[in-house]
Amino acid sequence: MSASDNSSSLDDARRARLTEALVRTGQGDRSAFETLYRATSAKLFGVCLRIFPERSEAEEALQDAYLTIWNRAAGFQAGRASPISWLVAVTRNRAIDRLRAGGKARYVPVEEAVDIADPAPRADAQLFAASEDRVLHGCIEGLEPRDAHFIRSAFIGGATYAQLADIEGAPLATVKSRIRRALMRLRACMEGQI
Amino acid sequence: MSVLSEDDIALAGEYVLGLLDPAEAATAQARAATDAAFAAEVEAWRERLQSMVAGSDEEAPEHVWAGIAATLPVSTGQDKGSGAVRLWQGLTAASLALAAWLGFQNWQQEQAAPPEAPAPMIAALGNESGNAAITARYDAASGELLLTPVSLDTGKLYPELWIIPADGVARSLGMMKVDGPTLVTVRTDLRPHMAQDSLLAITPEPQGGAPGGKATGPVIASGKMTTI
Repeated sequence: MSASDNSSSLDDARRARLTEALVRTGQGDRSAFETLYRATSAKLFGVCLRIFPERSEAEEALQDAYLTIWNRAAGFQAGRASPISWLVAVTRNRAIDRLRAGGKARYVPVEEAVDIADPAPRADAQLFAASEDRVLHGCIEGLEPRDAHFIRSAFIGGATYAQLADIEGAPLATVKSRIRRALMRLRACMEGQI
Repeated sequence: MSVLSEDDIALAGEYVLGLLDPAEAATAQARAATDAAFAAEVEAWRERLQSMVAGSDEEAPEHVWAGIAATLPVSTGQDKGSGAVRLWQGLTAASLALAAWLGFQNWQQEQAAPPEAPAPMIAALGNESGNAAITARYDAASGELLLTPVSLDTGKLYPELWIIPADGVARSLGMMKVDGPTLVTVRTDLRPHMAQDSLLAITPEPQGGAPGGKATGPVIASGKMTTI
């Protein structure tokens, strides 16, 4: 896809810069940590807002996420993971922990799913990420709506198998095998389009 | 690298989605630390799914950074620069051989082993990136378990240690300190579970431990016990 060709060098440079800042953060370098924060906090605040629509809760989750990043940066393996996917995973996991600790795991409603799939105008630096968004959302839309809701409720809402089975009024094993099949379909769809 | 089955691929997806129960998640995490193909699939799932939560950027208010900066340790290089910490930070669950060797050296220094004493067991508890968070050494003769934190963060909560033997049921071994070694005397009824390949796992819990003896937090570090 031409959008990704045009932005790939930009993306590579950004990745290299973030990798360096993250590695130096792992060595206890506070100025590198601040550089990392300036470069990524808008993205990670977006992640927190997706999980905590209430702004003050999202701000607390963001602060918590960066303290976790500071403490765990030494564990980032530059050769094995992309800095952004590592940062998003740490932020998402930390936010979900807070959500579950507060007893707020939730089933993500349909309207929200439609909202997520709607592409908003984006800055140049996000062009590449935006094309990946379309692939994921296109493939999720291709799943049965119930399966798409299961996957969103788990990843965004922190719902567990037990909660999904409860909501669905179905045996745990049934929900589990449905989701596993949906995951394999999602993967096949995405692998076919990237 | 091993070739992954469809089950393995789906398991990596379930792990990233956060659908697994604590014992299953700990097992998946331990596997990612030692199986490169599985770790690559976990990373691939993270990349596949991340745009579900990322993509609508929003400028964070300035006071968030101020709050973070105020919470950082005053001097840098105190925790993160010390030689011992740097050494252990490089330790992955895959380098259990090194942990075994170090554990054995310590053990030799501390006591002249009587010939009939059972061999001590060790475990390196890796965090989600596969780096050591805690090292553990268990002496079956005395039932004492020595836990040494390497890089452990439980935020405002407290780390609780669990033993998960082959039956997959997590049993609490009690709370541990984050700022120094903890010596736990394992209850006699739990000692049979302190066996080869049993999983040690840490979850963040409220002060005093998980209510009702059921873990409430996610597994943040785990590792299998092995004889040295």
